[in-house]
Amino acid sequence: MISDRYPDADVLEQRGHWDDATRQVVLDRVHNVPSFHYFDAQARETLEALCARIIPQDHRPAARRVPIAPWIDDRCASDTGVGFRFDDMPDDATAWTLGLAGLDETAQAVAGARFSVLPPDRQDLVLEAIRQGDPPGDVWRRRVPARRWWIQVALKQISGVYYAHPSAWDEIGFGGPAYPRGYAALNFGAREHWEATEVPDSPPAISGGAAPGAVPS
Amino acid sequence: MKLDVRLSPNWLLDLEMREYRPQDAVDFCIIGTGAGGGVLAQRLARFGFSVVALEAGDWHDSERDMVSDEAGSGRLYWNDLRITGGQDPLEFGANNSGRGVGGGTVHYAAFCPRLHPSDFRVRTLDGVAVDWPISYQDLEPYYEDMEREYPVSGPAHFPWGAPHGYPYAPLEAGTAGQMLIKGCQALGIRVVAGGPVAIPSGRVGKRPHCIQRGFCLLGCKVGAKSSTLVSHIPDAIARGAEIRTACMAFEIPLDQAGRVSGVRYYRTLPGGRRIEEEQRAQAVIVAGYAIETPRLLLNSTSERFPDGLANSSGLVGRYLMAQAGPVVWGRFPDLIRQYKSPPACALSEAFCETDAANDFVRGYALQTVAPLPIAMAHLIAEEDGRFGEGLVRAMQDYNHDAAIGVLGEILPDERNTVTIHPTERDRFGIPVPYMRFSLFENDRRMMAAGIARARAVLTAAGATETHAVPRYAHLVGTARMGFTPADSVVDRWCRSWDVPNLLVCDGSVLPTQGSANPALTISALAARTSDWLRRAVPAGALARRPSDPTAVEV
Repeated sequence: MISDRYPDADVLEQRGHWDDATRQVVLDRVHNVPSFHYFDAQARETLEALCARIIPQDHRPAARRVPIAPWIDDRCASDTGVGFRFDDMPDDATAWTLGLAGLDETAQAVAGARFSVLPPDRQDLVLEAIRQGDPPGDVWRRRVPARRWWIQVALKQISGVYYAHPSAWDEIGFGGPAYPRGYAALNFGAREHWEATEVPDSPPAISGGAAPGAVPS
Repeated sequence: MKLDVRLSPNWLLDLEMREYRPQDAVDFCIIGTGAGGGVLAQRLARFGFSVVALEAGDWHDSERDMVSDEAGSGRLYWNDLRITGGQDPLEFGANNSGRGVGGGTVHYAAFCPRLHPSDFRVRTLDGVAVDWPISYQDLEPYYEDMEREYPVSGPAHFPWGAPHGYPYAPLEAGTAGQMLIKGCQALGIRVVAGGPVAIPSGRVGKRPHCIQRGFCLLGCKVGAKSSTLVSHIPDAIARGAEIRTACMAFEIPLDQAGRVSGVRYYRTLPGGRRIEEEQRAQAVIVAGYAIETPRLLLNSTSERFPDGLANSSGLVGRYLMAQAGPVVWGRFPDLIRQYKSPPACALSEAFCETDAANDFVRGYALQTVAPLPIAMAHLIAEEDGRFGEGLVRAMQDYNHDAAIGVLGEILPDERNTVTIHPTERDRFGIPVPYMRFSLFENDRRMMAAGIARARAVLTAAGATETHAVPRYAHLVGTARMGFTPADSVVDRWCRSWDVPNLLVCDGSVLPTQGSANPALTISALAARTSDWLRRAVPAGALARRPSDPTAVEV
């Protein structure tokens, strides 16, 4: 279970101290979540299930969970470039479509069912196989290098959406935007009066180690 | 036209900017407005030349366009399609590219060290790569100028390379930066607080000083951090240069006499309509950085240059270098809050020079870095591909992490290239660049040593565990300067060996890169080339190729 390290954190409460442009970008992200318009129903279910295993949010009430999948869907539809493509990878939207199909293929091979209907521990076994880079499935063998997809597409994009959200900032104690106010407490990891106080885990936080449910490599 | 661009809270750039007609041949058409192009435009305009600088992107208004938000800052980067491959494929887009007025200097961390004298002579000293056709002494006065003009803060007496000091005092380091200092001190490694970093510790004109908000990599809303957007381009405009935005150059045409006649580009008008124009010019300077510069030259083919403009040597696009930029981070028992203060605030160059005790030549610097949350999540993802609770818990330690960037000298290799992809086109329909990049043995050993050293420093500072991800920063070397038309693309003045009125003046001309962040060196080269052009143009030096026996020496 993920503990609440900064129980008092509410970085959005500081929005009155942010500049207009920043406030608009952040609030737009919080309040205007796009609707799905790219993936079909099955791919969408797979994507939602994938997001929930990469960034588990069971520790949050359902209403406070950060939406991730809609932003991935939106990105695939919008054709916004990121500046490059690996020469062994298809374009971003195709990589998502193929990768989600590959996830279901691997799930069938490893656990005998589609990814989204598996229990979490079985889903993690499927993801672990992809993380290791040589999962069963035609997609991975012929179309998309699994390890590259895992890191560059799945992990980086999903974590990129999540840690762009103020709720995720609260979870890690990030102070957020600080213009025009700036920071004053610069030494000894000190806290601005408006920043959250950390309530340390007991015992000290585990930061290393592989994913839970991971097969030792 | 009257400009309306805010550069700091108390600086609205509202100058009347001169505009030239494309059919009127200006003295210089410059492609790019970054560390090279921005300084070239300012210098050449000051010297009385007529100047048009083409910029593919737009202005960055500090209030309207810059945001304190990682995911909302995509407009700072070159997001058009590029293809990457090789054994160690580089990532492009964010981090190592820039788009818009000021180029990459708008979002760099602003470390501005000089190269060391030895960096210009690595063939002679170490038997690797090549020597530069110029020496440290040739560039030194221009380093001094740029450090005053950016300006740069740092130690009064910098202990590495040639003796020099900085005009502004160091900024205060945040807790994360103090971990590099603490760890180095504990191990007896010489380290300096305060950079050199192009964030002056005092007000410069209408630029307030730093408020320690720590979002340097997303553009400085304060206007404190130096970029050519705030340091040189306003002066360029005041002196009559035109900065023409939303203009994507796609070809440099050659005339019957073998001279370039101008630059062809797609211009996106307000509202989105795209037109094709050609700016006529007496001379063209390409300053598009190490990917777009060779791409433009290679895409500019003619009967005379079927393999790309100014490419009789076949070296355009060869010797692509990234700088090794592994990020090493440690977890500390106490809070660090690494997002506060500029990420660039302390460094050590104690390991930059060749050391006979190493199993590699050349070396690396250790610098402070401070990943914001998304960057940190990406580092953790890249380290071991972890997910789920392992990822979320590691991120919950964000405020306990301090990071060090190893900035190391990858040597040039002709197998690391920029070519034109045979089929892919960008949104303009222009053939895209295809980069292939691989590390070689010296590079791997240097990176491993740098990572080990950074881990030791963090551990000595009190880190209870350390992590590392091999990353890369900066791109140089794809139109190298050299001694002869056979060994290089440009001469010591950044002038094409093949085309008398064509120059390349950006990171792509660097024959080697040292362990210094390249912006200051690029600007210094631009200032030097501008000085030469001031004398060379009236003397007729651009009338003949440099190797022509009838060429005018200046």
